[in-house]
Amino acid sequence: MPAETLRVLVVDDEELARRGLRRDLAEFGGIEVVGECADGFEAVKAAAEEKPDLVFLDIRMPRLDGFEVLSLLDPGIAVVFVTAHDDRAVQAFDANAVDYVMKPVDPERLARAVERARDRLRRREPLPLAAIGAAARAPGEPLSRLLVRDGARVHVIPVDDVDSVEAQDDYIAVHVAGKTHLKQQAIGDLEAALDPRRFVRIHRSWILNLDRLDRIELYAKDSRVAILKDGRRLPLSRAGHQRLRELL
Amino acid sequence: MRIALFLTVSLLLGGLAATILALGGGTGWEEAIWLGLPMGLVEGAIVLAARYPCQSAPIREGLGRALATQATAALVSAGFWGVLGQILARTLESVPRYAGASMRYRGAAPMLVVVGALVFLLAAAAHYLVLALESARAAEVRGVEARVLAREAELRALRAQIDPHFLFNSLNSIATLTGEDATAARRMCLLLAGFLRRSLQLGGRERVTLGEELDLVEEYLAIEKVRFGARLEVSREVDPGCRDALIPPLLLQPLVENAVRHGIAQRVEGGTLGLRAIRSGNEVVVTIDNPKNPERTGRRGAGLGLENVRGRLRSLYGDGARLEIAAPPEAFRATVALPYSAASQEKSVAG
Repeated sequence: MPAETLRVLVVDDEELARRGLRRDLAEFGGIEVVGECADGFEAVKAAAEEKPDLVFLDIRMPRLDGFEVLSLLDPGIAVVFVTAHDDRAVQAFDANAVDYVMKPVDPERLARAVERARDRLRRREPLPLAAIGAAARAPGEPLSRLLVRDGARVHVIPVDDVDSVEAQDDYIAVHVAGKTHLKQQAIGDLEAALDPRRFVRIHRSWILNLDRLDRIELYAKDSRVAILKDGRRLPLSRAGHQRLRELL
Repeated sequence: MRIALFLTVSLLLGGLAATILALGGGTGWEEAIWLGLPMGLVEGAIVLAARYPCQSAPIREGLGRALATQATAALVSAGFWGVLGQILARTLESVPRYAGASMRYRGAAPMLVVVGALVFLLAAAAHYLVLALESARAAEVRGVEARVLAREAELRALRAQIDPHFLFNSLNSIATLTGEDATAARRMCLLLAGFLRRSLQLGGRERVTLGEELDLVEEYLAIEKVRFGARLEVSREVDPGCRDALIPPLLLQPLVENAVRHGIAQRVEGGTLGLRAIRSGNEVVVTIDNPKNPERTGRRGAGLGLENVRGRLRSLYGDGARLEIAAPPEAFRATVALPYSAASQEKSVAG
């Protein structure tokens, strides 16, 4: 079977680096570069609009870094990190998540990465986003902001602003000052990434920002409800109540 | 060693006491030695123990207090010594041939007490001298330790100097340029080689001139300019009169690197890095400022570099130099101020 044309997006904040990669890719043939982006927001937008097969992604970039961009991509896209020096790229690779090439770019290594990406796409192997998220964070460093994609737009939500998070099927609903943002993520993965001293899993489908809690009320025998400062009432499971009590 | 000292001192003091007894109290030599030797042992112990009041009342905390302490200690110890002699003499009287020993002792007692007090004071003076020598030696050891620490900080700073991101990205730029513009690729190669060579050169010295450090910074910025293109602009304001000021090597370069890496590189639109060096009174003041992306604050690594610079300044200048940081949301400014000393004034600092 002749290789189909691979549609590729190149993301790097250095123009020279993008140019170099483009030239190398042009020599391989069977590749069409559908876009070039200089920062993470542009990359998310271009990925949503152009729907490339493969994204070459620099890690250190302004506004959104490579890992953050990755977390906002459709899991059907193949990604290759292009990095000068980042241990996290190696970790992500070890987690069998994402391939990487080091700068300066070795064309042979690049060709291999393209072949592997083609394989991955043929097998329709989705990006394991949870494993990547874990590899992206330095141990002991909790998440500082949540990124939510709305079509081609990206909302950046500082975790301080988050009131609560609710699980809804495959999604989580992030409640921020009366607004709700939907994000495709498992609530357990988000819980693991947040600072456990400030965010508590109060229920199977709820995470609460401790700052927002006003009081706990008993509304039936053995059954409690958390009342927030804005008056909202959230269900409190027995284990959730236990966790809250340990923190307060 | 201590026991030998104690026995020697005791023997000498015992001899002294016996002599006083024999001459002043008219006791026979034999009796004088029987009394004198134990008294010598006791006085030997007292004299060595005189170190403790010396330690608790050091002269630098007030001469009056030291004198009062020592005088009191001298009187108490001499009085105790005199009474002890009396008891010994009484005990000796139980031997028939030494009958009347306590009578004879009483004759020499005032003299013994005075001599005991003087001996104590002499010992105190000797202890003060020993303590002073010991503290001088301790200060010297501390000085050596401080120098070793400073040297270690320097080495750490040098190791951290060459940011792998900078190095590999620059090499990547060269790799790209070789395919499209051989002259530009060669120029970038030369810039990188020049920067690395100069880093090694300057890093091996104790002090460099501000001018030399600024030249290194310029080489660094020229390379970053190739990588970042129009995103990186630099404005300079360097008072030519301070280029000969001596500074520790590779002090400013990491600050400039921080400004690029954590400031300008984090902004899509880039920005202007400001570099200012002036002489203000007896100080050289260097200011590096840059715009920054307010969403990207508190990046790991930036704080470490600043701590490093601060530590080096402290170990080299104590309170004489400082690093000040001003970081409103959209900008960052690092100011280094250190005492001005010109290369021409300090000939001993070799290149």
